[in-house]
Amino acid sequence: MAFTDADLIARVLAHEDPHAFGELVRRYQSPVRAFLLRMTRGDAHLADDLAQETFLKAWRKLSTFRGTAKLSTWLFGIAFNEIRSAARKRKELSLEEMDVPPPEASSPAASAGSHLRLDLTEALKVLSSNERAAVLLCCQNGLSHEEAALVLDCPLGTVKTNVLRGREKLKRQLSL
Amino acid sequence: MSAPEENDPLDALLREQNVYVDDAGFTARVVQALPCRRQTWVRPLILTIAIIISSVLAVLWLPWKNLPPLNVSDLTAPNSPMLLPWILIISVIGSLVWSLFALIPRED
Repeated sequence: MAFTDADLIARVLAHEDPHAFGELVRRYQSPVRAFLLRMTRGDAHLADDLAQETFLKAWRKLSTFRGTAKLSTWLFGIAFNEIRSAARKRKELSLEEMDVPPPEASSPAASAGSHLRLDLTEALKVLSSNERAAVLLCCQNGLSHEEAALVLDCPLGTVKTNVLRGREKLKRQLSL
Repeated sequence: MSAPEENDPLDALLREQNVYVDDAGFTARVVQALPCRRQTWVRPLILTIAIIISSVLAVLWLPWKNLPPLNVSDLTAPNSPMLLPWILIISVIGSLVWSLFALIPRED
């Protein structure tokens, strides 16, 4: 019989059972790592470091998870905070400052002329971090706008705008 | 509503590229790196004991009976005799309230 997430969480909290937590990691490592990989623009090493830190933080803070949101939503929230912290530590541009798209993003004529169809990975790089996160969470991972707002810690309207803008940019980039 | 549209080519592409990331030892690495988790009851217990002790000390030691009446005009005077006891009492009460707030578990 397969244990539910709630069963596994209860085991971790009651017995500090690393195997129960390992099962949770096994269930959610793929969406979390894929999300981080996209958010770090394909930097696999950084994405895995952040994913590991995300799950270690989840282990430490599991008692604060009240179950009001899905576990995946809670994990995405921790992962997104890790990205923000890493950006601050590396003294890179803040997420909000990464909004300037590369030149080809705003030149539909050029892309139409060359009939260049960037693949999704490349196209996602054109989006700002907030747009990328909103699109990935809502359109790829199936989170509702409300859940994404919770993960990104921003107003619902901002998420909707970012999803809309991100989708438009992606469609332009991919000539869809 | 953010559910992907059935016939939207972008949604189809996003779904198609949402492939499973192979574990490749990731879970084992995380489990191996797990630190000892602090018991959830330790922090509230320590805080509760500290609050009780502080409250008892505050009741016993603070100069409640000799407290000068609170007068706003005197408070602004630089060497007012009422300044020190009131600052002390406000600080103690403030710390106790802060500790009570710290007892509330946070979801982050």
